[in-house]
Amino acid sequence: MLSYILKRLGQSLITVAIVIITVFLLLRLMPKSGYFTREDYVNMDESARTAYLRSLGVMDDPVTQFVRFAGGVARGNWGRSISVYPKSPVMTIIKEKAPYSLWFGLAALVLSMGLGLTMGVLMARHKDGVFDTFGTIYVTIVRAIPSLIWLFLIQQWVTGLLGWPMVFYEDRPVSWILPTISLALTGIAWYAIWLRRFMVDEENKDYVKFATAKGIPRTRIMRKHVLRNALVPLIQYFPQQVLLTIAGSLLIESIYSIPGMGGLLVNAIRQQDNPLVQALVLLYAVLGIVGVFLGDLLMAAVDPRIKLAGAQGGQE
Amino acid sequence: MKREIPMVSDELFRPAPFNESEAELTGYARYSYWRSTFRTFLKSPVSIALLALIFVLTLFAFAYPVLSKTDPNAVALDTSRWNIKPGSEGGIFGTDGLGRDIWARTWYGTRTSLLLGFVIALFDVGIGMIAGALWGYVKRIDRIMTELYNVLNNIPQTVFLVLLAYIMRPGFWTIVVALCSTGWISIARFVRNKVMSIRDAEYNIASRCLATPLPRIIQKNVLPYLVSILIMEAALTIPYSIGAEVFLGFIGLGLPVEAVSLGNLVNQGKNTFMLYPYQLTWPTVVLAAITISFYIVGNRFADASDPRNHV
Amino acid sequence: MSGALLLSAEDLVVQFSLRGRKLTALRGASLELFEGETLAVVGESGSGKSVLAKTFLGMLDKNGTITAGSIQYRGKDLARLSRERDWLEIRGKKIAMIFQDPMTALNPLKTIGEQIREVIELHRGMDRRQSKTETLKTLEAVGIQDPERRYRQYPHEFSGGMRQRVVIASAVACKPEILICDEPTTALDVTVQAQILDLIKALKAEYAMSVLFITHDLGVVANVADRVAVMYAGQVVEQGTVDEIFTDPRAPYTWALLASLPQLGVKGEDLFAIKGTPPSLFKEIKGDAFAPRNPLALEVDFVAEPPIFDVSPTHWAKTWLLDPRAPAIRPPDSVLRLREKLLAERKLS
Repeated sequence: MLSYILKRLGQSLITVAIVIITVFLLLRLMPKSGYFTREDYVNMDESARTAYLRSLGVMDDPVTQFVRFAGGVARGNWGRSISVYPKSPVMTIIKEKAPYSLWFGLAALVLSMGLGLTMGVLMARHKDGVFDTFGTIYVTIVRAIPSLIWLFLIQQWVTGLLGWPMVFYEDRPVSWILPTISLALTGIAWYAIWLRRFMVDEENKDYVKFATAKGIPRTRIMRKHVLRNALVPLIQYFPQQVLLTIAGSLLIESIYSIPGMGGLLVNAIRQQDNPLVQALVLLYAVLGIVGVFLGDLLMAAVDPRIKLAGAQGGQE
Repeated sequence: MKREIPMVSDELFRPAPFNESEAELTGYARYSYWRSTFRTFLKSPVSIALLALIFVLTLFAFAYPVLSKTDPNAVALDTSRWNIKPGSEGGIFGTDGLGRDIWARTWYGTRTSLLLGFVIALFDVGIGMIAGALWGYVKRIDRIMTELYNVLNNIPQTVFLVLLAYIMRPGFWTIVVALCSTGWISIARFVRNKVMSIRDAEYNIASRCLATPLPRIIQKNVLPYLVSILIMEAALTIPYSIGAEVFLGFIGLGLPVEAVSLGNLVNQGKNTFMLYPYQLTWPTVVLAAITISFYIVGNRFADASDPRNHV
Repeated sequence: MSGALLLSAEDLVVQFSLRGRKLTALRGASLELFEGETLAVVGESGSGKSVLAKTFLGMLDKNGTITAGSIQYRGKDLARLSRERDWLEIRGKKIAMIFQDPMTALNPLKTIGEQIREVIELHRGMDRRQSKTETLKTLEAVGIQDPERRYRQYPHEFSGGMRQRVVIASAVACKPEILICDEPTTALDVTVQAQILDLIKALKAEYAMSVLFITHDLGVVANVADRVAVMYAGQVVEQGTVDEIFTDPRAPYTWALLASLPQLGVKGEDLFAIKGTPPSLFKEIKGDAFAPRNPLALEVDFVAEPPIFDVSPTHWAKTWLLDPRAPAIRPPDSVLRLREKLLAERKLS
């Protein structure tokens, strides 16, 4: 067991390393002019610019830069952001913004799982019935139409209809509801459609036929055999989803003006805020990989057939 | 239980001549994979209707720019031509904030977005299939490919898209490269799984034992699976790429603002929604029609190509 | 063996809609099962044996329907039952079934103990503790050692033969009247086969069950059966005691089946094989379904379906050869050799 954990740890470290190096190098491919705002670029002369770039640490060759970065991380110093609240430590920024994303993300996740799984079960139980049809229509709309569109329209119509605030206010709980629900909509569709698919697959298996022949009522078979077994493949995604709520939803946080982590990454890239981008990518990669690992552990705990030592590599 | 004897004439009680070839007539229904697939798919009127819709919309999107004289980029200098509601004056979909005809813009935009989607589907599926087939067949590269898969999966999609868009200047091919560079691996993995399960499937081992030539094994046993994956993935890539284009437009890294695409139309219409809702709703209706149709048709085709559903 | 009539299928017709066409899997099949006996149903693949068994539990696939005929059981016509509620009274409680493949018959994510216990709890109205005790008793009855420990184990921890024992345990746990075995030993090793057959025989005696045993293996039939029903192309063509069927078969298909036994082959000669293949059940069949493959067929076999003729109170066959007008036709040599061999063995014992 221990050797398995160590092996996975090693593999994960390599993956994280490759991810961070790739992003690191891609960032260094950006034009140096991007480090300045337009005015600064125009107003500063050559030597001032070079001095500034040197102070940022981007004039050295990539290897040196990377070593510096890695060393810093090892010591707990994740660098200072170039763009956000000038020169704030990255950690401070994350600590400030993460709670918003986490709260909304986790609340939406609970909603997604609760409603989504329930929907999935009902759709599978009454396959091809009315509920199944409506469920499928819902899922189709959510997954086929770009989310920006229906998120935007929901914001417009619902706030107009119910007189709710259009954006997020920390002191007005009523403004928290719509973003949470909107955030959950995709998750609900995902859980519903996948659980339904897995349940339908399970229903066709031989052991269900045998259970029927033994005289077990269909409702009981669905509940105690089909549902239980169908949830198993879904469980492996659960840790990942929980851990990555910290990343926040760019769309939701943008249209509801939530000061979370969502827009951070994109803006950081546009402003070529290397320390921030690197730190965030490192954070998300680590969380993602830890999530996968926990997911595999969870699967092994739930499925007696899986023996960890010979576990499959890569995610399904 | 029937014990009554039917009326038969006595002289029939003679031995009958034995015809060995007659004994061999099996006549179990001939099963053709493709015929069954299309039959199952076309069984539903919804599938047929949406397939027809796809054809109509695609045809129109490509035919309109050729046949119509309206210029989607023509800005009206006369401000009274700005923001006119749909109707006899404004044109079928109305005009936008610069007096441009939204009906024309919608169809030019659809053409661009569809083209984008087809190109992405082509590269994604093309590269994905070849890579996946090799990955599944050649055991030695499995470790590297799996590692590659893990890495690509763990680089946040947004980062990659944004970085590439930044390095390469926003544009048609930038989006293609950005989406394809991460998209192909999922298809490759899917294909790899299928290839692996097929390669080791007993009926293929049996075929090899019977000295069935490799091209025939591939043609009859492997290709049908892969082609159906192809079609399904291609169909599902269209809504995905349109969605990505809309998202990129939102964060300012989509196609150039001057370009006419559904993504740009949506983002522009969003900004003027409060005052002129029709500028968003009509392009959205067309966009939704396309994405929903492709999505449903793609999924139904996937279901139809599963032999277990060929009943 | 001479118990009361327990279950009888009369002229059952079952059709499946397959890719737009209709497949008639049972074309008027009739069967009788008496109390306390083991009835073997033999036939090749596609003869309809499994379909027939499934109708007794209302477990036809969704695209299948009983379009004619009846199944009489304890005063009820099972062919007319459509509500799940009605079937729940029968399945597992009165009629139980075990399937061919023990590897997939059990839920891989539940302990085997739990899978047996839930049936007992459901059908015999016991609470958790009582049903667990009963489960342990049943596990012992089917020959599983160390039942306490095994109770908590999962299916993948059992070998094929042991899994089949678990399957049998869960089927007989509620002491059903009728046990249907659908080729339970086909997927098992030969040595294990014998054990399972002995187990079924022992359980039949212990729980006073009647057994319907479906198989394509005549050797198994000789081992376990009291009576035999021979099926071909969706019909039962002959029914009788094991003795009658092996020593005095009357239907040409039964002759062909027996002649195919490799044990009856003569060294140096080609083994006998029935020429041709079974007919397509998509098309309507005129006359005797076996006629095209039967070198001994009469012309009437191609014109009209043969009715049932009784050979003795316990033995009937569906063949025109039993009609008084039919010429006397000798069964094939191998069949006659079999009769001699069996009669000789009987004299010795």
